[in-house]
Amino acid sequence: MSFIEVSNISKTYKISKRKSGVPGMLANLFVPKYENKEAVKNVSFSIEKGEMVGFVGPNGAGKSTTIKMLSGILYPDTGEINVSGLIPYKQRKEYVSRIGVVFGQKSQLQWDLPVIDSFELLKAIYSIPDDVYKKNLDRYMEMLDMDKFIKQPVRQLSLGQRMRADIAAALLHSPEIVFFDEPTIGVDVVGKDAIRNFIKDLNAEDGVTMIFTTHDMQDIEKTCNRLVIISEGSKIYDGTLDGVRKLHGSSRQLDVYFMNDSEVAEIPDVEIVEVDKRHSQFIFDGKKVHINDLMSHLLGTYNVKDINISEPDIESIIRKIYSREKVAG
Amino acid sequence: MRLSAYYAYAKKQFLSRSAYRFDHLMGILSTCLQFFIFYEIYRTLYGSKESVDGITMSMITTNFVLSLGLSAIFSPNDYFVPGRIWDGSISTELLRPMSFKGRMIAENVGDACFNLIFKFIPVLLIAIFTTGMEKPAGIGNMILFLISAILGYGVLWTISFLVQMTAFWLINIWSLITIKDVFVNVLSGMMIPLWFMPDWMAGVIKFTPFASIYFTPVQIYLGQLSISEIVFKCGVQLFWTVIIYALGNVLWNKGQKKLVVQGG
Amino acid sequence: MRDTIHLVAVYSKTTMRAWFQYRVDAFLKSLAVFLREATGIIVVFFTLLKFDTLGGWNIYEMLFLFSILFLTYGIMIIFFTGLRDFGKTVRDGSFDRFLLRPRGLLFQIIFVNSDWFAALGHGGLGIALFLISAGKAGINWNVQNALYYVFTIAGGVLIQGAIFLFIAVLNIYLLQTDSLKEMLYWNMRKFAGYPISIFHKIIQTLMIYVMPFAFVNYFPAQYLLRKDDMNSYPEIFMYITPIVGIVMYLVAYAFWRFSIRYYKSSGN
Repeated sequence: MSFIEVSNISKTYKISKRKSGVPGMLANLFVPKYENKEAVKNVSFSIEKGEMVGFVGPNGAGKSTTIKMLSGILYPDTGEINVSGLIPYKQRKEYVSRIGVVFGQKSQLQWDLPVIDSFELLKAIYSIPDDVYKKNLDRYMEMLDMDKFIKQPVRQLSLGQRMRADIAAALLHSPEIVFFDEPTIGVDVVGKDAIRNFIKDLNAEDGVTMIFTTHDMQDIEKTCNRLVIISEGSKIYDGTLDGVRKLHGSSRQLDVYFMNDSEVAEIPDVEIVEVDKRHSQFIFDGKKVHINDLMSHLLGTYNVKDINISEPDIESIIRKIYSREKVAG
Repeated sequence: MRLSAYYAYAKKQFLSRSAYRFDHLMGILSTCLQFFIFYEIYRTLYGSKESVDGITMSMITTNFVLSLGLSAIFSPNDYFVPGRIWDGSISTELLRPMSFKGRMIAENVGDACFNLIFKFIPVLLIAIFTTGMEKPAGIGNMILFLISAILGYGVLWTISFLVQMTAFWLINIWSLITIKDVFVNVLSGMMIPLWFMPDWMAGVIKFTPFASIYFTPVQIYLGQLSISEIVFKCGVQLFWTVIIYALGNVLWNKGQKKLVVQGG
Repeated sequence: MRDTIHLVAVYSKTTMRAWFQYRVDAFLKSLAVFLREATGIIVVFFTLLKFDTLGGWNIYEMLFLFSILFLTYGIMIIFFTGLRDFGKTVRDGSFDRFLLRPRGLLFQIIFVNSDWFAALGHGGLGIALFLISAGKAGINWNVQNALYYVFTIAGGVLIQGAIFLFIAVLNIYLLQTDSLKEMLYWNMRKFAGYPISIFHKIIQTLMIYVMPFAFVNYFPAQYLLRKDDMNSYPEIFMYITPIVGIVMYLVAYAFWRFSIRYYKSSGN
C-alpha cells in the first residue's frame, strides 16, 4: 500500500443555470436549475512517501479539483482517497494538521500586518511547540532569505517575497505532505528560481512529499521527476518527464526563414505555424514524413534564407498531447 | 462641446442600471418600508387630532412621499470621484477630450432618470393608493414644484460634489460621506417634517442649504408659499447651488494640481 | 481548552493590531457608524419634543427601547462579523483555507475577524442611550431586574446571531444572499426601534414570529417599563427572550451542521 492511494475518484459539479429577468431571478432563488459538469473522471494514482509529483493540464482540466479532494476540501462523488490510513474529507482536523497547502493566487497571510504576525497566528492555530516553531522559522528565514522583509506588512511585499512568505507559512508546522497550487504564478524569473530551489532542497533534505499543479513547464522540468497530465478530467499520462519526450520523441520542428514574404501552402502530415510572413514552423512526425523530402520540397518551392531543425520543447509536446486528447474525446 | 457624448454617457448609465433588477426591487421595497414606518408613526402621533399647528395628517403624508421619493430619484453617486482616485484611474480619465465633470453630471442624470421612472413612480403609485396624499395646490404649483425640485437636485448634487473633492487629500472618505448623509437626512426634512422642528433648530436650519433640497419643493407643492416667497426660496436654492459648486470647484482645481505633482 | 483560549487571545490580538494600523480612519469610521445609526434617534428626539409621547412611550422610554437594540447588535457583531461577511468568505475562497486548518469551522469564522468599527459605533450608541435613559425611564434597578437585563441582552445577541448564522448558511446553497439579508434582516430591523404596537398587525406578526426582533428589545423593555400596550400580547413573551435566543441559535446551528457537508460535496 502506497503512502497516498487514490482509486477511481470522480467529481461532478452542479453548475446553476441562471435565468435573466425578474421572474428568472425569483426562479433562480427558489427553484434553481442545475447543469452537471464532470470535473474529474475516474482518476487513480498512488504516490510514495518523499515523492515529488507535478500535475499539469489546461485551465479547467480538473487538476485543482483533484488537489482540493486530496487536501480534504471536497468530497469525491465516487472513489476513495487514503493517505497513510486517513481519509482526508472525513478525518479533516487530524488530516489537515499533517499537510500544508500553498495557493499561488490566494495568500493566507494577514494583508495589513507584518509577516511575522501571521506566523505567530499560525503557531497558535496549529499548536506548534515553541522549539519546533523556532527551529523551522530560523531555517526558512535563512533558506528563503526572509529576514529583510519579515517585519514588513504583507501589502508592501513584492509578489516573489509574498510567495516565499506564504510557502514558509504553509511549512511552519512541519507537514508531511505539501500541496502547491500554481506556486510561481506571476513571480519574476529570479523569484521563480529561488522558489524552485527551495522546494527541491526541502524535498531532498526532509523527504517531504510534494504535489504541484502548474502551468509553467519549467517548474516541472526543474523540480519534479514525475509528471501527471490531466485533460478534460481524465489522467492521460503518468510517468517521468523523459518518458513524455520519448513518447513523442519522433516529433521534429523545422524553422524556415524566407528571403521574401511567402504564403506557405499546406503539406500532408505537417503542421504549419506561420510566425510571420518570412518565418514559418513545420512540425511533423519524423517517422511519417521524411526530413529530406520535406526539405527538398521547401527549398524547391520557396526562396529560403535559413533553416533550423530542432526537437519541440516540452511545452509544445504537452500542448500537442492536449489537442490530440480533445480530438480523440 | 459635443453634447451627444454626454448624452451617450447618460444613456449608458440608464441602461446599465436595468441590469440589477433584484437590487432595484429591494430599493423600492426599502423606500416603501421607510415611508410606511413614518406614516404609521405619525398616524399614532396624530391619533384623532385633525391637525397640529395647522399641519394636517395628509400634509405630513405628502411631505414624506415627496421627500423620500425625491431622495430616491436624486441619490447622486458619492463615490464617482473617490472611487477613481482610489484606483488611480482618474489621471487617465482626466486626459480624455471631454469635461470630466460634464461626464459625471451626465451619468448622475442618467441615474436620476432611471430612478424617476422605475423607483419614484412605483413608490408614488403605491403611496397614492394606500394613503391619503394631497393633490398639488394648483397647476402652477405643480410646474413650480418641478422647477424647484430640479434646483433642489442641484443643491444636493453640489453638496455631494464638494464632499467628494476631499478625496484628493483623504483618499478614503467613506466616513465623511456617511456623516454628510446624516446631516442631509435629518436637516432636509426627509425624515422629520421641518414644521415640527423647535424654533432654535429651525433658526439653525435656515442658515444651511439642507432645507432647500426637499422642503422647498414640498412647500410649493402644498401651496404654502406666496409667489414672492416662492421666488425668494428658489433664489436661495440657486444661491446655494452656485456657492457650493464654486467652493467645490476651488478644491477641484487644487486637487488636480496635487494629482499632477504626485504623478497620479 | 487552554490551547483554544490561547488561540482566541492570539486571534483577538491580531484583529486589534490590524485595526490599529489605521487609527484615525478607524475612529472616524466608528464615529460615522455612530452618527448614521443615531439618525433615527435624533428624529425621534425632535418628534417627541413636539408630541411628548409615541403610542404612550415618552422620550426616555423610547431611548431605552433603542438602547437595547444597539447594545445587542454591538456585542453581537464582535462575535458574528464572520457570519455577516460569510458570503464574501465563500466567494473569494477564504473558506477553503478554513477547511485546511485543524480547527472547528464555526470557531474560525467567529474568531478570525471582528468589525470593531461597527461594534464601537453601535455598542457606543447603545451605551450612551442606556446612560441617558436608564435612570429616567422609571426602571427600578434592583438585583432581579438587573439580572433580567443581563440575560435578556444575552438572548438578544443570540437571536440576531442566529439570524446571521441562518442567512450565512444560505450562502452554501445560493451564490448571492446580500439582497436577501437586506430584505430579511435590515428592512425588518427598521421597525425594531419603535414600540411594535403602533404598526400594522402584519408587521407585528412578522416582528414576533418571523424575524423576532420584538424579543430583542420590545418585550424586554416592556418587562422593565410595563406600558399599557403590553396588554395586547401574552404576558409570557416578556420572559422568554433568552429561551428564544438559545432555541433559534440551536436550530440555526443544526442547519449549519447539516449544510456544511453539502458544501464539501458541492464545492461551489
